[in-house]
Amino acid sequence: MLRHAVQRLMMAVPVMFGVLLVGFLLMQVVPTDPAVVRAGPNASAEIIGQIRSDLGLDQPLPVQFGLYLWRLLQGDLGVSIINNVPVSQELGATIGPTLELMFASLIWSIPLGIAMGTIAAYLRGSWLDRLVMAFSVAGVSVPVFFLGLVLIWFVGFQWQLLPFTGRAGPLWTIEGLRAVALPAITLGGVFVGPIARMTRTAVLDVLGADHVRTARAKGLPEHLVVLRHALRNAMVPVVTLIGLQIGFLLGGAVVTEQVFSWPGVGRLAVGAITSSDFPMAQGTIIVLSMGFIVVNLIVDLLYGVLDPRVRTA
Amino acid sequence: MPTGFLKRALLGVATLAGLAATLPAAAQTTRNTAIFLREIDADRYDLHRSTARGAGEVVTLMTDTLVSMDWDGRTIRPGLAERWEISPDGKTYTFHLRRDVTFCDGKPMTAADVVYSINRWISPETRSPVAWRAGSVKEVRARDDYTVEYELNAPFSELLSQLTLFFAGIIDRVTVERLGANFGSQGFNGTGPYCWASWTPRSELLLTRHPTYRWGPPIFENRGPAHVERILWRVVPEPTARLAALQTGQADVTQYVPTVAIDSVRRVPTVTLLTQPNYFWDYYLGFKIDKPVVSDRALRRAVHQAVDRTALVRAVWFGHAEPALNIVNPNTLDYDAHSDTLVPRFDMAAAQRTLEEAGWRMGPDGVRVKDGVRASFLTYGINTLENQRQGEIIQQALRRVGIEMRIQLFDATVAWGRMATQEFDALFLSYPYFSAGDALSLYWHSRARPTPNRMNWNDPETDAWLDEARSATDPAVRARALANVQRRLAEEAPWLTTARENLYVGHSNRVSGLRAHGLYGIGIYKALDMRIVR
Amino acid sequence: MSATTAEITAPARPSTLRLLLRDVGAAISLVLVLLSILLAVFAPWLAPNDPYDTNLMAIMQPPGGEYWLGTDGQGRDMLSRMLFGLRVTLTMGALSLAIGGSIGVLMGFCAAYYRRLDAVLMRLVDIMLSFPAILFGLAIAAIFGPGVTAVVIALSVATIPLMARIARSTALVVLGLDYIEAARAQGMGDARLIWRHLAPNCLSPILVFATLRFGQVILLGSALSFLGLGAQAPVAELGAMASQGRTFLFFAPHISVIPCAAIFVVVLAFNVLGDSLRDALDPRLRV
Repeated sequence: MLRHAVQRLMMAVPVMFGVLLVGFLLMQVVPTDPAVVRAGPNASAEIIGQIRSDLGLDQPLPVQFGLYLWRLLQGDLGVSIINNVPVSQELGATIGPTLELMFASLIWSIPLGIAMGTIAAYLRGSWLDRLVMAFSVAGVSVPVFFLGLVLIWFVGFQWQLLPFTGRAGPLWTIEGLRAVALPAITLGGVFVGPIARMTRTAVLDVLGADHVRTARAKGLPEHLVVLRHALRNAMVPVVTLIGLQIGFLLGGAVVTEQVFSWPGVGRLAVGAITSSDFPMAQGTIIVLSMGFIVVNLIVDLLYGVLDPRVRTA
Repeated sequence: MPTGFLKRALLGVATLAGLAATLPAAAQTTRNTAIFLREIDADRYDLHRSTARGAGEVVTLMTDTLVSMDWDGRTIRPGLAERWEISPDGKTYTFHLRRDVTFCDGKPMTAADVVYSINRWISPETRSPVAWRAGSVKEVRARDDYTVEYELNAPFSELLSQLTLFFAGIIDRVTVERLGANFGSQGFNGTGPYCWASWTPRSELLLTRHPTYRWGPPIFENRGPAHVERILWRVVPEPTARLAALQTGQADVTQYVPTVAIDSVRRVPTVTLLTQPNYFWDYYLGFKIDKPVVSDRALRRAVHQAVDRTALVRAVWFGHAEPALNIVNPNTLDYDAHSDTLVPRFDMAAAQRTLEEAGWRMGPDGVRVKDGVRASFLTYGINTLENQRQGEIIQQALRRVGIEMRIQLFDATVAWGRMATQEFDALFLSYPYFSAGDALSLYWHSRARPTPNRMNWNDPETDAWLDEARSATDPAVRARALANVQRRLAEEAPWLTTARENLYVGHSNRVSGLRAHGLYGIGIYKALDMRIVR
Repeated sequence: MSATTAEITAPARPSTLRLLLRDVGAAISLVLVLLSILLAVFAPWLAPNDPYDTNLMAIMQPPGGEYWLGTDGQGRDMLSRMLFGLRVTLTMGALSLAIGGSIGVLMGFCAAYYRRLDAVLMRLVDIMLSFPAILFGLAIAAIFGPGVTAVVIALSVATIPLMARIARSTALVVLGLDYIEAARAQGMGDARLIWRHLAPNCLSPILVFATLRFGQVILLGSALSFLGLGAQAPVAELGAMASQGRTFLFFAPHISVIPCAAIFVVVLAFNVLGDSLRDALDPRLRV
């Protein structure tokens, strides 16, 4: 088990390094000179030169990369060229809301998806089954912003049931919960479908397997068969799917944050890029990518936990 | 009975919940907080370095000025100065300050702070684009701890009006020196009814009440401290979100109600819409007259002839703005009616003729060409709803007569920097003024280059007229000089003024005691009478 | 107990098309897919008005009446903008898929064929997969400026690793087949082997994946345009139109809803089609 975990970690390291390298290189290709932007509109050539050497921009590329890695290890992601606030500080303030949003989306969509998929498998061939499948395909096809706009229009505006203008407090407060509801429904809504479908497929697959037939032969009631034997093994591909979808969830989060003015990393990233705040843009992209790698790693490890066959590989 | 997997799943959920515990808490309770909404944030809140209304609307709450402006937009009232005298030659103003004023950090305010603030404003190092508003200053000095002598080189009839603007706010030297370049982005210290608490750019800015404030302008019933403990400025770029927040009571005040919704908002019982007739805020499309293509006067006049401003304004502002002709609003002081007649009128056929006669021949791709140069120009602007929509409409109108207009709009936090460069040919902007003199002095003197005179207008006669108007003691002399400027600008057409906007301040029934002010386009000025009623 | 004396013959495999058409959903989606492609291709001839032409006397007109789908915030004909918008949206998707797909498939084949390159190429693929597609779109837009080009570059790059993976796994299966071994033993050159034998056998799964992927690419492209990083005003593109219509959501919802619905229908059609193709081509996957 441990060896499997270590193995996976080792494989993730070059990937992380590659991400950092690509992130660094991308920002070198940027057409605007960060020193000029930082100096402001009326700066003289000397000031720009000074800023350039302060930022280390006159060093050769490999040296700059080394400096960049060194600073990264110390948690220094640079400073926003708009208002001189450290990037790590802004990221620290916005990561929470994004995680909150993603958590709120997953906490209802995963269980619902699994439940729907299991019921569909159990009642295979019935109209309920077909409904679940149709819902699943529709869910994957609807643009996130469409769902968000419709919810704002009806639930937020016409019926005035829930707010939609941004975060109003931590998740465990009433205002906070009400404020995160619509964004979480929007972001999770796209997720339910694929999870339901994958669960259904996986459960049906497993239900045909030998050990399940044995359980049935032993006289175990069907619903227990499904719950105790089928579901556990079916979780393997489902967990894999969830892991794969995290990237998609991140993309959906960026759009959701925009539609609902949610103060998360996605909105920070879009704002940084439209403002040409390159240190901020670079920082947000790197952190999000790292987060994605970490989540994938967790999914990989979870995979090892669920499927003993993988561990001995 | 939870299986092994379920146990691990629960563990995962618990971990995430633990992570969530590290989240920043938003406003602890909204009961004593008034939420103000706006569309865009300012680049920063250093009052001497930003001319954005987004900066002004916050700075006005954090600072006080020597004198304050009454609701009518003309009458000057006491502020930090209880009374003042003007010397007979109009060159020296003596301000007698109140003695009970303190900064947000508790430090008492004295004449030295006034002198420091004004000097920082006009210092060449600060490079404030609006240093001219302080007048041609010879010296500002403290005669004693509570008396300031403000000496000019030449009389400036509008000095007091200019001193009511937020650029003339009094700030604390120690804080400025401590924060350096971060003054106005990471901290602030003024004497105003509210104090800087925190700023998350493009998201939120929190102000807390100044507890010892007692020196509010006499135009308010409550001279201080403010009734409401906190003001939270929220940036909500989505017009629908702002609208809905106001209607559902999630936010309390905004002057940025989308114009499409004004009429329906009037019918909503939980929202009150305030307005103010003494409000002058114009939108324009300005040209850099020394850039190729737009340096051609004929082309600029053709632009005027190609754009139907009445239809444009009706489409973009839904009846809540007036179409403009020349530069100055007819209701302002020293407006010259004759100059309006010199502005080219909307006439598509005439536009085509003007271009043909000037040598702009239609090219194969539908864009005119003259001497090998295509009639194409690049326009910058801040990314607001109005600029997006009027941009597309004007772009299409110009396309019909063979002119290609390229548009690039920027987020407010960087737009000001981009608009200070020479890399574009035209720009969309809007601005406030309280008289013809104010409006024209801001933009059209040659020393106002490169900003705010982004048009690079450099005309010695204009300079002479503006200087004459500023130091004139006879109103007729001033009016005539300003009329000349207006006529010159109407003929040369360096600017297409599109709309004159109305001011609407919407507030929910959760707050009361608000009145629309309009100084520098700012809806809520000091908020001293504001109360939270439920 | 039924006797098992019935003849055991493999049922005659019906053609893919017939299998598809048996499923009503698949048939409808095939029609929709073809229809949307036709509308996009012939948009310049089908559109009744210039999609850029503003009619300031008729802004925000609801559907019905002179303008069949109404007008938008600047008085432009929604029907014409929808046709041209569909064109841009589908072109962005098709280009991204074509470019990304070609490069990705090539990478996947090389990884499967040249075992020494496999580790390096797959590591590269992992790194590319580390960037969520939308963030890559943001980064490209930051560097090259927003626009359709930026979106196509971003989406192509986002598609490469997925196509590489599927190409590789399919190729590995095919390369294990006997007759490939035989061909190699006969001394057939690498390029010829890939082109003549590998590619055609891998085609079906790759095609299925491409169809399913097309829907995702369209969603991504319209999301990027929605954020303001894709097609720039006044160019008509479905995601950009949905974004511009947001302001008037409560007053003229059709401006946002119609483009959103169009995206939904097109993506749904491609997804259903892709699903049915997959089921039709590999009965093992049918449940």
